Amino acid sequence: MNAEGTTTSEKASEAAEPEGTEGSRRRRLIIPERFFTFQSYVALVLVFLAAVIFSPRRDGGIVFLDSDNLLNIVRAVSEIGILAVGVTFVILVAGIDLSVGAVLGLAATGTASLMMVNDMGMALTVLTILAIGLTFGAAQGYLSARLGIQAFIVTLAGMQIARGLARIWSGGQGIPLAYGEGPGLAPETFALLNSRTFNGTVPIPALIFAAVGAIAIVVVRKTVFARHIYAIGGNERAARLSGIPVLRVKIAVFAISGLLAALAGIIHAGQLNQGSPNDGMTYELDAIAAVVIGGTSLMGGVGTVSGTLAGALLLGILNNILALNNIDTNVQMLIKGGIIIAAAGVQTFRSRK
Amino acid sequence: MTSPDAVETGAGDAPPLLRMSGIVKHFGGVRALRGADLTVGAGEVHALLGENGAGKSTLMNVLSGVVRPDNGIIEIDGVSVDLSSPAAAQHAGVGMIHQELDLVPQASVMENLFLGREPRTRLGVLDRAAMREHATSLLREIGVDLAPTRSLSSLRVGEQQMVAIAKALSLDARILVMDEPTSALSDTEVERLFAMLPRLRARGVGVIFISHRMDEIAVIADRATVMRDGCDVGSFEVARTPPGEVIRLMVGQPIEQLFPDREPPGSTTRLRVHDLTVTPSTEGGRSEPQGVELTVCAGEVLGLAGLLGAGRTELLDALFGVAGQRMTGTVELDGEPVRLSDPRAAIAAGIGYVPEDRRASGLVMKESVGANIVLSALPALSRLGWRSRGNEREAVTSSVRDLQIKTATPDVAVGTLSGGNQQKVVFARHLLRQPRLLLLDEPTRGVDIGAKSEIYRLLARLAADGVAVIVASSEMPELLGVCDRIAVLRGGRIVSEFEAAQTSQEDLLAAASLEQDTTSAVEAG
Repeated sequence: MNAEGTTTSEKASEAAEPEGTEGSRRRRLIIPERFFTFQSYVALVLVFLAAVIFSPRRDGGIVFLDSDNLLNIVRAVSEIGILAVGVTFVILVAGIDLSVGAVLGLAATGTASLMMVNDMGMALTVLTILAIGLTFGAAQGYLSARLGIQAFIVTLAGMQIARGLARIWSGGQGIPLAYGEGPGLAPETFALLNSRTFNGTVPIPALIFAAVGAIAIVVVRKTVFARHIYAIGGNERAARLSGIPVLRVKIAVFAISGLLAALAGIIHAGQLNQGSPNDGMTYELDAIAAVVIGGTSLMGGVGTVSGTLAGALLLGILNNILALNNIDTNVQMLIKGGIIIAAAGVQTFRSRK
Repeated sequence: MTSPDAVETGAGDAPPLLRMSGIVKHFGGVRALRGADLTVGAGEVHALLGENGAGKSTLMNVLSGVVRPDNGIIEIDGVSVDLSSPAAAQHAGVGMIHQELDLVPQASVMENLFLGREPRTRLGVLDRAAMREHATSLLREIGVDLAPTRSLSSLRVGEQQMVAIAKALSLDARILVMDEPTSALSDTEVERLFAMLPRLRARGVGVIFISHRMDEIAVIADRATVMRDGCDVGSFEVARTPPGEVIRLMVGQPIEQLFPDREPPGSTTRLRVHDLTVTPSTEGGRSEPQGVELTVCAGEVLGLAGLLGAGRTELLDALFGVAGQRMTGTVELDGEPVRLSDPRAAIAAGIGYVPEDRRASGLVMKESVGANIVLSALPALSRLGWRSRGNEREAVTSSVRDLQIKTATPDVAVGTLSGGNQQKVVFARHLLRQPRLLLLDEPTRGVDIGAKSEIYRLLARLAADGVAVIVASSEMPELLGVCDRIAVLRGGRIVSEFEAAQTSQEDLLAAASLEQDTTSAVEAG
């Protein structure tokens, strides 16, 4: 062995040993770390191909690939997708937010009530509702980060509180939206949420979802705030000792989650032309599912917003193709559960660092 | 009539307890072991030496069935064995005591000892009486006096280790691997551990002992094997080999001088601490600082000595704002009083901290080397919260160059670096903020001798640049080698101070362990 060979192997073994010391079990297949980054895209492509194959055909065309159908999928997942983006931030700091579905319901109810009962204008309504969501999230963040109550518990309670508030606000009733000028009617412009733009092709909610996703991706890639999120999720103690304002960052991620849940609630009211305290029931679970399928670790510190977007789209495609084939919704739930397990299962092959 | 000699010879011809030969292991394209050999006799304490990354841990993982070798032979008592899983290794008589102990902290001592093989009564119900009885005799056998019903978390690290050893022996371990067993122990606990070794010898157990501390190897080991670059480079009788020769084998070249020459410190007072006291938190169990008075000059290195639990870490934590509202007293930096409400305030005031446990408190293991380096400096390297990759890359590149951090690229996960290089990453993070005061807690723990020497040189350089440094360490030679002054702590108080040049290990130890007899009596009871 020549001298140069020795030096390379020295460096190499230096890099390799710490890995060997931790659980090098037999199931440790050699999967490059890069794969996990793309895991959700790979899954998305597979589900997409499966959808093409199993799609019903009409007049020789593949119904699934019809552009109206594809855009409709994006519209259908826009609410879950927006929730999931917010939840991604929370999960990245090793937290969890179970309240987003209920906050969506509160926001939808509030939107309808403010416009129909209080005759509030659209801009003011939207700002008020967004502020409520932001405050609600921030309060949960404060309780969990400052008082050290587990996020699971805080947001479980938050879920109850948001539903309760929504019921009180509307007297337990759904509030239908009617559009027009004058008292007791919602502004016509709000109905835009239920329409399509670009010559009636792209649904407005899909557009908002795309914008939220794009902004979140930029925030994660380009801001110091995002680096702080990853550091806290990866090792909170080290983050604190590095001078990161842990409390502030944690409150901020819950506030973002609350804000986006409120936004999704406004869209929900617009799409269904009503706001009901029961809206968004179990949406939080779909949102968390999208995050997990997207490759974000519930342990915190690992994950991407783009993965979450892929996870949300995957769920949308799945719902769509099963519906196109008239498959029972109960069976849909089984399949969704299976996919979540598979996504989480693949993650366990990741090195345990 | 056979003479005693003949019997002796017969025993000498018996195969050794353990023979590993030609062990090869690749991880991906990386060769971690390239034909390593190791022979250990029954009743022998065998030190396994080598720098981090030399392949010691991989070789021990092969022995304990965690890693399957690509090639090579393992024989126990001359019989070839296939250690394909940790269970198989355990069955073959290999016991491993990890640095991070594989015990359940919430459970009691006896529950840990019999985990997964609890004695049962005829009705299949847990037989606690039998469990207690077995546990007591097991512990007595290795000379440990512990109530089997105590919860593991109430024990000190050293005692927990004893439990782990008792557990391994109760599984009929004949080869006991200890991976840096003393790194987390106080001197008294180390003594207790060493006092146990003769009993293991008498039972014919072969002990493989991984350590970075030359002094203890000289005391306890019979033979030693040095590893370098995935290969064994020499085995020798410890008693007959001078330490310099051992170091030469380890690094492949002699280190002329472990501790660098230091310039005399300046005379301007950098840090002045008056009556610093921390109210214990509700969790308790820590020796918080009590009425600490301290000054450190610019360019001075102050050492903090003391036994485990004397309050060294707690004092450094307090000076870094970790204690927050619980702290009273005044801290002045360059004559200005500073409020240390949290670590953030401490960093803003110009204080840097390299904590004791770099995995738990220093590094974000999942993140890259670069991300870890710039973690504290991000606001300074960015504009209005938007990152500048250029600034970050520049800072990382110069840190890596400056501290000679050995990494393929700054983009690899920090967990893949060796201990010494990981430590340098934590250093780099705080140096980027150009601290006026640097707090170091056990800066060379788990770091090989080459990296140690580099860290000492770095310390000397920082001090020469006017940084005030406080180093807490349980290694007395280290304190004597790098410090100007040494303060000795006991129960959170500073009990004495020494000029490093005019003191000795004995003086420090005496100051640190005064009243130690009464304390240990209380602990034992």
